[in-house]
Amino acid sequence: MTVLHALRCVGSTDVGRVAAFTGLGESEVESELIDLAVAGLVTHHKGFGGWQLTEAGKAADAERTAAELDAAGTRTALKEAFEDFLVLNPELLDLCTAWQVRQVDGVMTINDHRDAAYDDRVVRMFADFHERAVVVIGELAAAVPRFGRYETRLGTALARARAGERKYLADTIASFHTVWAELHEDLLATLGIQRWTT
Amino acid sequence: MDHLRHVTAALDEPPEVVGGKAHGLALLHRLGLPVPEAVVITTEACRAFLRDGRLPAGLAAELTAAVAGMSVVSVRSGAAVSMPGMMDTILNVRPEAVEDSVKAVFSSWNTPRARTYRTLHDIPHDLGTAVIVQRMVFGDHDDRSGTGVAFSRDPSTGENTPFGEVLFGHQGDAVVSGRELTLPLRELTHEPELWQQLEDALTRIERHYRDACYVEFTFESGVLWLLQVRPGRFTGAAAVRLATDLVDEGAITKEEALLRVSPQHLRHVRTPRIAPGAEVVVRGLGVCPGVATGRVALTADEAVRMAGPSVLVRPETSPDDIRGLAAAAGVVTARGGPASHAAVVARSMGKPGVVGVGRLDLAAGTLVTIDGTSGEVVLGTPEIVTTAADTHLHRLLEWADEVSGDDSERPETERLEAAQAVLRR
Repeated sequence: MTVLHALRCVGSTDVGRVAAFTGLGESEVESELIDLAVAGLVTHHKGFGGWQLTEAGKAADAERTAAELDAAGTRTALKEAFEDFLVLNPELLDLCTAWQVRQVDGVMTINDHRDAAYDDRVVRMFADFHERAVVVIGELAAAVPRFGRYETRLGTALARARAGERKYLADTIASFHTVWAELHEDLLATLGIQRWTT
Repeated sequence: MDHLRHVTAALDEPPEVVGGKAHGLALLHRLGLPVPEAVVITTEACRAFLRDGRLPAGLAAELTAAVAGMSVVSVRSGAAVSMPGMMDTILNVRPEAVEDSVKAVFSSWNTPRARTYRTLHDIPHDLGTAVIVQRMVFGDHDDRSGTGVAFSRDPSTGENTPFGEVLFGHQGDAVVSGRELTLPLRELTHEPELWQQLEDALTRIERHYRDACYVEFTFESGVLWLLQVRPGRFTGAAAVRLATDLVDEGAITKEEALLRVSPQHLRHVRTPRIAPGAEVVVRGLGVCPGVATGRVALTADEAVRMAGPSVLVRPETSPDDIRGLAAAAGVVTARGGPASHAAVVARSMGKPGVVGVGRLDLAAGTLVTIDGTSGEVVLGTPEIVTTAADTHLHRLLEWADEVSGDDSERPETERLEAAQAVLRR
């Protein structure tokens, strides 16, 4: 379940990222992926994308997540917590944007990170944001325990950024922003909400 | 009348008291332009509300009396410093709900998101916001109603032709929110009288500011109403062209033109851009500067599989699109703004990005070029300019050399900075 669902939230990816998402070991993830491939739920593309859900895999994940939620009887609680997530979401995107670009004389200018005081302030705001995010993740995890894993992952990204690896805010595949976007996708997938209609 | 003012030509208090929006509306009144009846509640009242948890004594009664003649109103924030999208706007409010709406807008000053925004942008937390209560005009009244935004000149080139977006049959928030598919402003020429009124208004406002301007407007059954105004705040090549054109029009002096253009704008001019004159198929908001050319990929898979360079075109992006963007030369999305997921990811990879183009009728495989500064999407491979080899910049820099008395060979920004140093002495 977790490996299949990881691919649903992350998109096509390699074993390493599924391991990071689930907290499982890479060999465990790999053998699970092979089993899922045998069952026709995932495929592997050499060269690009890595592991990917098939249509059957996507349907199976949707069915299992919905069943899990209904069995727990926490759909309403999760929906309410999702509303709180949606309040935080634009603020996180504001923060990522403030990290990447600044307005200089009205011009959107790529942040060259030469203004240490500004950068430190943005990092502090991420930390402040994280404290409030933890509260909402607590609500999500109370409804569906696996959401608790996002607290760990966001906390790790923030700790690395605060320790000096600033790309872990918004500029790498394991960044605070990436983990947050996966959480968003996870919530949409779990609640069966379409991101867009075409 | 401590905390409430009628918005009229006589309102002459500064934005710190009545907010930037009401300040602009009073200007429109003075210019004889059509503004729906409105009152503004001061920032002082907001500070009192946030401190005491209730409206100042007497304000509720004043408010009730003021809105008695307006059947339906809008209640909008209006701080002294612009904080776009951070605070509440409430439309279609009935008189009995006005007080609660005002409290809600005051309270929205202190949402965590608004606080974070102010901390990031060095805006003090204790300013508070004014609130404008205004008679609603209905852009969704009939098919001769609608709403839009307009610049008096093209903000990406500086060309002297009105530019903006219009949406027929909708209320004002629909354009700004980016949720609806808008039409180019020129579609308004199908309503010649309305178009004439708008052009006249833009001209009058420009003459006052001696600068390009921006307005938000609504029209109800063919009658134009202005809801917001500010100077255009052009940047880059557009700022240069605007400044030199204003000199030619006799609106400003050469010295003023030199002070209007920031050296930062000249640095910005050097970013690769699509040369003016290319036919733009769709335009959105540029979120990561630079130009990218490639064939349209409509999914991450297509982008990854494409042999040559691709441009990923999506409704909006999700985590699965990251690998598509990694493979693509640039990204275009139908929805979203400067802080959308797509914008953040595009910048993290340093790839040109255009968001919020509205419609997505680009066929897979079509060769397109995108400009992450202007937000333009052009078919094929248009001419690209990397320096401002344009006559406007040459003229401005010649004036700069005249002022500084130095015509030696040096970078453009230094030439401008030298002139500005002399003028500010």
